[in-house]
Amino acid sequence: MRDNLLDPRAVLLHESAADRDEAIRRCGRALVDVGAVAEPYIDAMLEREQSISTYVGEGVAIPHGTAAAKEVVRHDAICVVRFPGGVDWGGEPVTLCVGIAAKDDGHVQLLAALADILLDPERARTLREATEVGQVMKELT
Amino acid sequence: MASIDSKDIHKIIVACDAGMGSSVMLASQLRKQLKGTGVTVEHTPVNEIPADADVVVCHSGLAARARVSAPDKVLVPFQIFLGDPAVTKLVATIKNGGTVDA
Repeated sequence: MRDNLLDPRAVLLHESAADRDEAIRRCGRALVDVGAVAEPYIDAMLEREQSISTYVGEGVAIPHGTAAAKEVVRHDAICVVRFPGGVDWGGEPVTLCVGIAAKDDGHVQLLAALADILLDPERARTLREATEVGQVMKELT
Repeated sequence: MASIDSKDIHKIIVACDAGMGSSVMLASQLRKQLKGTGVTVEHTPVNEIPADADVVVCHSGLAARARVSAPDKVLVPFQIFLGDPAVTKLVATIKNGGTVDA
């Protein structure tokens, strides 16, 4: 895996958000902070969520931008943001967001790994309940 | 209504809005489930469905756009990104033989 795909600084395990938009902004901010995307990407993430929910099951959502917003992606990156208090994601309770910024296919392997985890309820629970950055890095990479 | 026999399915396209998130995830799962069948799985934005696609899989919220983009293709819409019954049925049909209807 590429070294800068999942920056440990983009793993935030004790966040809170009042609603879905705030949670998405938090994910976007994490991607901005590690230099993966420019500021406008955050709005693109909100826009993308309006069309179809990025909820993927097991309390996990994978917010990301639109096709047009790839222009402001500097490098493929993922952030992992956990909301222990939960966020109402269009009726689904979400406790973990895996935010995505991608213009190439650098993140494909990591998403495949995430899909495997989510199809295994035990592993999904471990990931959702992770309280250490190291645990998350180990599960996903 | 388009339909296709399982033996004529060689390429499945998972179509998505941005092609960077959920379609990538679903394509990786489909690829794994169809390993050994000779069927290739790719993911593309919904407005760039290639001409050689045999079956298009996309979220039901994108189905209308997929029908405009690829009117002659067999379309399998799904609601849930992982473990959707429509996708499970598609995989079973490819493996066991049968017809996939749009």
